[in-house]
Amino acid sequence: MKRFLPVEELARDERFIRSDLAEGFSDPRNGRVRDRTISTARLQPDRAAAPDRARSLMHGIFVGEIQALEAAGRTTFDFDDTEAPFALKLDMARQCWDESRHVEISVKLGEHMGTEIGEYTEATFLYEAACVTDPAMRLAGVNRALEGLAIDVFNTMKDFGQASGDPVLKFCEDWMLADEVTHVKMGSDWLRRLTERDPERRERALEFQRAVDKLFSLGGFRGETDESPIQIARRFRELAGFDTKEIDEIAGLAAESIAETRALLGKTG
Amino acid sequence: MVDGRKPRPAFAPWDRRALPGLFDVEESARRVGAYAWLEMRLFEALGGWIATVPELDVKLVLGRHCYHHAWHAEQLQQRLPELREMNPARLTLPANEGIVAFAEALIEPEAAELTIEKLVGVFRVLLPRTIAAYTYHLNGTSTITDAPTIRTLNFLLQDEFEDWREGEMLLQSLIKTPEQIERASERAKSLEALIVVAGGIAGAGTLGEEVYELENKSEAVPE
Repeated sequence: MKRFLPVEELARDERFIRSDLAEGFSDPRNGRVRDRTISTARLQPDRAAAPDRARSLMHGIFVGEIQALEAAGRTTFDFDDTEAPFALKLDMARQCWDESRHVEISVKLGEHMGTEIGEYTEATFLYEAACVTDPAMRLAGVNRALEGLAIDVFNTMKDFGQASGDPVLKFCEDWMLADEVTHVKMGSDWLRRLTERDPERRERALEFQRAVDKLFSLGGFRGETDESPIQIARRFRELAGFDTKEIDEIAGLAAESIAETRALLGKTG
Repeated sequence: MVDGRKPRPAFAPWDRRALPGLFDVEESARRVGAYAWLEMRLFEALGGWIATVPELDVKLVLGRHCYHHAWHAEQLQQRLPELREMNPARLTLPANEGIVAFAEALIEPEAAELTIEKLVGVFRVLLPRTIAAYTYHLNGTSTITDAPTIRTLNFLLQDEFEDWREGEMLLQSLIKTPEQIERASERAKSLEALIVVAGGIAGAGTLGEEVYELENKSEAVPE
């Protein structure tokens, strides 16, 4: 088996249909959801589009968890002991187990919510963040940006479970949220340890994290205003070790991304 | 009232633990280091394979087992400093060149179509060998002087048994055609040949048998 598996070689069964982000946005079901959406973009149970949006998001969580599992698994294999010490790989192996459980939970929650594997497409940009060959950059991109996004997503879904009177959804999202906080902590800890004597490498890794964070904020998907369906979970991010400045920066990226999308729509529309 | 001043033997009548055991400190440490080395190669391989198998249930089992074997390596490495070596990495070594060749062959399959080959290597060749070697170690070592190793191996064996059973069930659900039976057999045969030459996961005498004679090794090597 070779080191560094490109995204094109991710193995899937025939239920999975791969798409890029643009294709995902042009899914006609999103159009129908938009038509039924007025004012806030937040997930609110009293809105007609809420069940469709929640199912779509749950499917997105499911494929995201598979890719997070694959990314953590590749980090146990892609690097030798000088690049990634055993203790780091042990953390990644632990994350594999956690992500496996998250996939299992997501499949069961998907069934609970009335969707099934393959109803929506799979975008692979999450795994792509794990294709970098520097372990410090990979941990910044996957464990801090991607797992940070997972904190925001799970907290949003947990709130939706609470608001919609769905104790199963709330229960499961809260458990997954606890794991994600741990994964972000692992990422922060290892980023610090791996780059202790190399500030330039650390800055490159943080720059990569910012790029990934911006990608995940695409079109205002994640932010702090009513225009974002996924809300930044400040309290849980603080528990995971993000400081206020870092969280403000992510909120800023989200606002920037919304402005860019508006400008783009203005030009094309 | 129990008279606490009345002398009692140090060992209760039912306590059959005895001195000495089969292994001195160095031999126990060498074996533990060899187990740790192989557990490390195994968890890395399982982690790497997750992205390469299309079967969703297999993907998830690999994720779980990856952590089990990483944890085994950690437990074994924790025992090493207690066995005279303060730097576990210096004792975390393959038993011999043969076991290195076996590990390389075990890890080799990558393509999405090779799930059977990946699983056969782990669940039909390696795990039966680790179960056998750990069992031999805990049955043979001193139950008094090497009790910490026995305790560790017992924890590991619980995982190994359960993981082996789960992997074997996956294989039985995947192997359905004569061609798949043939693939599974061929894969097991080629890896068995390599590990027999290595003498087992801890090298010659893994199970206490006579040291395998060099001149016989060619008989076990696949053509």
